[in-house]
Amino acid sequence: MKKNIIVLFVSVCWGMLLVASCEHEMPRYASFTAYDFSKLDEDAGEWEPVLLAGPEQIMVDAPEDVNSATYQAELSSLKSAMASLSGGQKKAVEYWTNNPIVRWNEIALELAAKYNLIPGPNADGTYTLPNPATPEGPSPFPFAHPAYTSRALAYLSVAQFDGLISAWHYKYLYDRPAPYQTDNSIEPAYAKTTLPSYPSDGAVIAAVSRDILTAMFPLEKEYLKGRADEHLSSLIWAGANVESDITAGQHIGVEISKIALARAGNDGMKKAQCPKPVSDSIKLSAFTRFGWQWNNLEVPVRPVGLAPLFCNVRMWSVPNVADVRPVPPPAIGSPAFLTAAKELQDIQDNMTEEKRKIANWWSDGLGSYTPPGHWNKFAKDFIIKYKENPIRSARTLAYMNMAIMDAGISCWDAKYFYHYPRPIQAIPGFKTILGTPNFPSYTSGHSTFSAAAAVILSHVFPAEAAQCEKWALEAAESRIYGGIHYRFDAEVGITQGKAVAQYTFAKAKNDGAD
Amino acid sequence: MKNFTRIVYSSIAFLSFIGVAKAQTPSDAIMMKQREACFALTYDKGSFDQYWEGTYLRKNEIIATVNRQVIMPMIAIGILDKLNFYVAVPYVKTESDEPNGGQLQGAKGFQDISLALKYEILNKELGKGKLAVLAAGGYATPITNYLSDYRPYSLGNGTDEWSLRGIVQYKLNMGLYARAMGGHLFRGQTKIERDYYYNNGSYYTRWMDVPSAWEYSAALGMWLLDSSLKLEATYYALNSTSGDDIRKYNAAQPTNKVNFDQVGFSAQYYIKPVKGLGVLAYYSQMLNGRNTGKYTTLGFGAMYQFQM
Repeated sequence: MKKNIIVLFVSVCWGMLLVASCEHEMPRYASFTAYDFSKLDEDAGEWEPVLLAGPEQIMVDAPEDVNSATYQAELSSLKSAMASLSGGQKKAVEYWTNNPIVRWNEIALELAAKYNLIPGPNADGTYTLPNPATPEGPSPFPFAHPAYTSRALAYLSVAQFDGLISAWHYKYLYDRPAPYQTDNSIEPAYAKTTLPSYPSDGAVIAAVSRDILTAMFPLEKEYLKGRADEHLSSLIWAGANVESDITAGQHIGVEISKIALARAGNDGMKKAQCPKPVSDSIKLSAFTRFGWQWNNLEVPVRPVGLAPLFCNVRMWSVPNVADVRPVPPPAIGSPAFLTAAKELQDIQDNMTEEKRKIANWWSDGLGSYTPPGHWNKFAKDFIIKYKENPIRSARTLAYMNMAIMDAGISCWDAKYFYHYPRPIQAIPGFKTILGTPNFPSYTSGHSTFSAAAAVILSHVFPAEAAQCEKWALEAAESRIYGGIHYRFDAEVGITQGKAVAQYTFAKAKNDGAD
Repeated sequence: MKNFTRIVYSSIAFLSFIGVAKAQTPSDAIMMKQREACFALTYDKGSFDQYWEGTYLRKNEIIATVNRQVIMPMIAIGILDKLNFYVAVPYVKTESDEPNGGQLQGAKGFQDISLALKYEILNKELGKGKLAVLAAGGYATPITNYLSDYRPYSLGNGTDEWSLRGIVQYKLNMGLYARAMGGHLFRGQTKIERDYYYNNGSYYTRWMDVPSAWEYSAALGMWLLDSSLKLEATYYALNSTSGDDIRKYNAAQPTNKVNFDQVGFSAQYYIKPVKGLGVLAYYSQMLNGRNTGKYTTLGFGAMYQFQM
C-alpha cells in the first residue's frame, strides 16, 4: 500500500516537472541584438522626403567643435555614465539596439492591440463612440481598428523617415564623428560605424515616435514619455551619442512631428466616423443605385458602420480615390453571387483544421494589432534579416505603411460606395468561425491591405517577393474560410491593393534611395 | 455503485464550465473494492446569458445565451481496496441560442482524456461514525485538436492538466456526512492559431499560458431509504493563480484568470430490483465569478457496477 501511494505521488510530481520543463518561450518583442548594418546610406540626406520640401526645412545649428571645452565636458560625462551602468541601464541599451525603428514600431503595434476594442452598447441599447476631445471615455479614444491603425503607422513611419533624411543631411554636412571615434578609450555597446553622430538618429526616432504616438494614443502620453526618456538616455549609456547630438536629434524629431501632425489634423480622419443621417444617405444611395444595402446585424444594431467616410481621408500617393475604385460586385442572387455563396456554405459545412488555422492565423481581429500591424511585423522581420540601418528601415516602413493606408482608403471607398451585404446577411442561416465586422463586405480589407504591403515589401526585399505574394493571397483566402467574405471580395481586393500600391511604388522608385 | 455516482457527480459538475472544462479527477471520499468496476454515462447542459468580464457581470447579445452540452462516459476500477483508477472522455457541444447578434458557429467534439488515481490514506471508526482521509492525483490531456482560443465556444483549455487533491470526510453511522476537498490544478500552455496576442502587453508566440488554479469544495449529504437514495448539497470554488481579465466587450481567451464559486445539489438512486444499476440527477448554479459565464447546469446519468 505504501508503495502505491509513493508511485502515485512520484508520478504526479514527475508530471508537474514535465509541465514546467515543456514551457515555451513567451517573447514580448522581437529577439534580436544590435547588428552590423548592411550599409550606411551615406547619401540618404539627398533622398526625396515625403512631407518636407527638403532636409533643411528643419534648421539645425552647427555643433561645437570636438576640441571645444563643451564637447569635451559632454564626452567625459558620457564616459562617467558608461563607467557606472546599472543592470537596468545595461538592459535598456541591449533592448533598444542600434535600430530602434523596430522597437518603436513594436510599441505602436502594442498600443494598436491595446486600443483595438470596439465600444459595446450602453444599457439603453445606444452606443457611445470614442471622442478625441474626451479620450478617457466612457469609450476610450481611440478605437484602433484597421483603418485607424493603418493611419497611425503611416504617420509614424513617414515622420521617422523624413526626420532621418534631415538628420542624415546634417550628419554629413557637419561631419561630427561618433564619441568612440573622437576618443578611442570609449567602447560602444553597438558596432562601430563611420556615421557622423550629430544630430543623433536615435534621438530623432525617440522624439518623433513619442510625439506621433502620443497624438494617436493620447491616453499613453506618460507611458510614451517614459519609453522615450529611457531610449534617449540609452544613447549615452551605449556610447553612441553625446548630449548635444541628442538635443539636435530631438529638435528634428519634434519639428517633423509638428509637420506630420499638422497634415494629420486636416486629413479628413476627424470626419470619417460620420453621423447617422449621413450614413443613412450613403446607404440609400447604394440601395438606389444597386438594389442592395449592407446592414449591421448586431444586437443592439450599431447605427453607423465603421468609418463610412474614411474614403475621404487624404491619400499619400493616389490623386483621386475614385481612380482606383474596383468594378461593381455581382448582383445579389446572380449566378456569380450564388456560386460564391455556395462555396462559403460548403466551406463552413466541411471545415478542416487547415482552413480553420488559416482563418485564425490571419484573423487579426478585435484586440489584435490588425492586418496593417501583421504586415509591419513581417517588415520588421525582414529589416532585421537584411540588417537594414535605421533610415533604410524607416523608408521600408514608410512606403509600406503609406501604401497600406492608401489601400485602406480605397477599400473603404468601395465598401461604402457598393455597400454590399456580408455573407451572414445575404445567406439565410449562415454561420461563421470569425466574427463579422461592422462594415460592408466588398472589397476585403485584409486582401487590399495585404496586396499593397506585398507590393512594397517585394520591391524592397526582392528575394522575399514570392513569400510576400503567397502571404497576401493566403490572407485574402483566410477571409473566405472565416465565412466573412465572398471569393470576389478577396480577389478584387487583391487586384485593388496592387493597383493602389503602384502609386506609392512609383514614388519609392524615384526617391533616390535605389 | 452508490459510491461511484458521487464521483460522477463531482466530475460532471466541474466539467461543464467555460475555462475549466476539464474532466476532473474524483474528489470525494468513496472507494470501490478491488476488482469492482463501474461504467457511467452522464449528460448535462449548462447555459449562461451573463458572464463576468473581469468581475463585472454583463450581458452580450453577440453571443446571447451560450449552451454547453456534455456527454461523458467514465470508467472506474478498484485496483486495490485502497486504490482506485478512473478514466473519462467527455464529448462537448457548444452553441448560442437564436437569435444572437454574432452568427458564430459553435463547436463540438471529444475534449480531453482524464485519468486519475485515488488512494485511501486513512479510514477509521471515530465516535459514532467513520473518518476517511484520501489523496488523488490526476492527469488530463486533449485528445482532439480542438481550438482552445475560441471562447466562449471552445471545448476546453487545450492543455495538459495535472491535479493533486486531498479529501477528508466524516460520516455518521446514521447516514449523514460532511466532506471537504482541496486541490491544485497545474496547467501548462495551449497552442493557438495566431502568433501574436495581447495579454497586458504583446506576446509574439503561438502559445498561451493557461493559469493554474486552486479548488475547494465542501459537501453535506445524507443517505436515505435504506441507503438507496443519497442527497447531497455542495459548495465548490475555483481560483486561478494568475491570468488577465477579459477586456471590455472583447472575447475571452485561455490566458484569463478564471474564478468562480457555485452551489450544487445532487440526488442519486440505487435501483434495488436491478442489481448494479443506478441513476442520478444534479444541478448547479454559479454565484460569483471572474472571466467565466454564469452557468446554470442540469444533468442526468446512469451507471452500472459489476465485478471484474
